[in-house]
This record gives sequence, C-alpha cells and structure tokens, in this order.
Amino acid sequence: MKQNSVLKIIATTTAGLLVLLAVAWLAWVPSPKELAYELAGSWGGPGSGAGQLNEPTGIAVHKGEVFVSDARNARIQVFDVDGRFRRQFGTKGDSPGQLGRPMNLAIHQDELYVADYWNDRIEVFALDGTPRRRIGRAGSAPGEFSAPGGVAVAANGDLHVVDFYNQRVQQLKPDGKFISQRGESGRIGIWAGEFNYPTDVALAGDGTLYVADGYNDRIQVFAADGRFLRKWGGPFALNVHGPFNGWFATVTSIALGPEGNIFVADFYHDRVQKFRPDGTFLTAFGTPATGPAHTAIAVDVDADGTVYVANYDAHRIEKWRPGKR
Amino acid sequence: MKRYFLLPMLLLWSLTTLAAGTQYAMRVDGLACPYCAYGIEKKLNQIEGVERIDIDLEKGLVTVDVREGVEITEARMLQLFKDAGFTYRSMTQQRL
Repeated sequence: MKQNSVLKIIATTTAGLLVLLAVAWLAWVPSPKELAYELAGSWGGPGSGAGQLNEPTGIAVHKGEVFVSDARNARIQVFDVDGRFRRQFGTKGDSPGQLGRPMNLAIHQDELYVADYWNDRIEVFALDGTPRRRIGRAGSAPGEFSAPGGVAVAANGDLHVVDFYNQRVQQLKPDGKFISQRGESGRIGIWAGEFNYPTDVALAGDGTLYVADGYNDRIQVFAADGRFLRKWGGPFALNVHGPFNGWFATVTSIALGPEGNIFVADFYHDRVQKFRPDGTFLTAFGTPATGPAHTAIAVDVDADGTVYVANYDAHRIEKWRPGKR
Repeated sequence: MKRYFLLPMLLLWSLTTLAAGTQYAMRVDGLACPYCAYGIEKKLNQIEGVERIDIDLEKGLVTVDVREGVEITEARMLQLFKDAGFTYRSMTQQRL
C-alpha cells in the first residue's frame, strides 16, 4: 500500500513536470512562420589582399554596394551586390580617417558611419572613402565611448550609439553633443532598460529603437521618446540563452528589412533570426561554423529583401534570399 | 683556439638573455566572441612594454610578450580580464 502511494506520487509528479515542459515549449519555442532563407552566393576568404577579409564584423548595403568592416585588416571594403571588389579605404591607426577595429556600420545620407571599437569614436566617411569627421572620444562621460559596437542615424541626423563597455546606448546630436542615454553607465543589468554589453542598434522610420543587448541574449525596443516598449529572447528575455527558435546566445548585430521586420545575428548559434517588429519569430537561417569561432556576426538587408551576412569564422560575405520551397 | 671562440659566444648569449623579455600565457573562457577578444587586445595594448599579443581561439589562450623589465601581475590580469568580460583561469610565464 505504501509502495503504491510512492509510485502514485512519482507518477503524478512526472506527469506534472511533462505538462509543465509541454506548456513551456509551446510558450517559449515558437514554430517558424516562414520558410528558411536560401544561400544565393558568397565571396571573400581569409587574407589581406583586395577582396579578401580578416574577420569581417560589420556590413551595410546601400544603392547596389555592400560595405564591409574588415576588422583585423583595419579597413572598409566595398563590393557590388554580386561580390565584385570595388574599392577599400581606411588604414590601421588612430589619425583622422584611420581605423582600429571597425565594427557595425550604418549609412545615412550617402555617408558611412563606422563604429570604431578601438579608437572609441564614430568615424564618418563619404561613400567613396573620403574621411569626413569623427564623433566622440574615449571615456565614460556623456558623449564619450568605451568600445562603440554599432550606430544608427535618425532622419534628423541624431546618432544612437551602442557603448559596449559603458553598458548604455547614447543619443547624440549630429555634432556629437549628448542628448540622452538608455542604461546606467558602467552598470550591467538584466531588467527592462538595462544592458549587458550591448552590440548594435537599428532605427525604424517612426523612431522606434531596436537594441541588440549582446550578452543579455535579447532584443530591447524603445519608443522614439525613450520609453521602454518590449523585449524578447528566451523565457522572459532575462538572459536565458539556448538554441531554440526565438532564443539567442550573444546577439551581435541587428537590421531592419524593407517590410519593417527585424533581422538579428545570433552569433553563438551561427544563424540569423527574423522577427516581426513585435518580436514574433518568423524564421532562422545560417551557415554552421567549421572552426572554434562562429559565423553570423553582422547582418543587413537590401531594399529587395536580400540579406547580407558577415561570416566571421570563414572570413566571407554571404547573400541569402527568401526560401521558395 | 676553441676557447677564444667560445668566450665571445658566451658573452653574446648572456647579453641576449639579459635583454630578453617575458612571455605570459593566460587561459580564459569566452574567446570565441570578437567583442571580448578585441576588448582584451585593446586593454593589453595599453600596457606599457607589451610587444606582441596572440589569441588562440581554439585553445582559449592569450599569449603576451613583454620587453625586459616589464612585469605583469596575476592580480592585474584578473582585473583586466574581468573588465573585458572574460572568465580568467590561469597564467604561466617564461623568459624569452
């Protein structure tokens, strides 16, 4: 009789746990709502010659050209959309027009904004590579940076800069004058509005700001007036990482597609995940890593919906198109 | 004759040994992320006397060569790696 009771308790507990697991799975592991994208081409390969790459970390596509942060070569390389080399600019150093470690990129009004992780500034170039100006300097005061990872530019020219080691996102005037910030300087946090090594930002036409909250393994969304709107990535978006749909492990780049959808580089899972602006998971795609490093580190989307991905592990650029089968 | 040849060789050897620096090898977790790896390189480059940095992603090993007279303490490395977002494991050193 006693043995039967114990067995009953074990059976009930197991059934309860299975039900909980099923509910959790349904709640936090969404099914794809679109087909995965298909690889339509790639180019690059390791090296320092024209067209070769040594750790690509940022990408931006604009008017038929693909701009790539070639980080360890301390330069920007420009290709056409089929991967033909067009030009390169930037050399290693910290003088005007030189680069340390270029990371995520943004293009606004025919100017390229480069987040320079080592020189603690945003370096601005004309699209032909002519250095125009630099914004910010090393430090943790307002308007200063400690390893900026990404930048987005608003229609009025205001900058939103992800300040990696300062754990914040700063909004600056076009001349670099401080306006406001999200996150507390130098303080890591997992709650809404707090950051854990943020890596990149993307800005929607209505001013909504999407932040890749790097080591919190989530996306955070803010209204144009700075209000926190929502977050997603794993259960409660509280730094729980995993390989499931809609979950992340170190988000390193974020971009908006032509229909307003959000593309996120989920670096440790070697994939790009696509979401609706409300965080609904749509699909995922990517190239598995072959080495100790990972692949999908940076992403941007062309006006026709083609997705360009910087593959860090293979030192290549990949071109992905929506799946048809 | 052999003795006359050995003497300057010995002198040269002792001079190069005395002028040699130190190589530090540090084991850390999380090197696969370039945001961390670049952060480490950046911070190590700011240390006076650092001449070479090598990061081996596969082994999780950061190797730093410093010039003669420069010393890197474990406490300093512990803090540096913590600031850069890494988990520091251990450090060994050898004369170059």
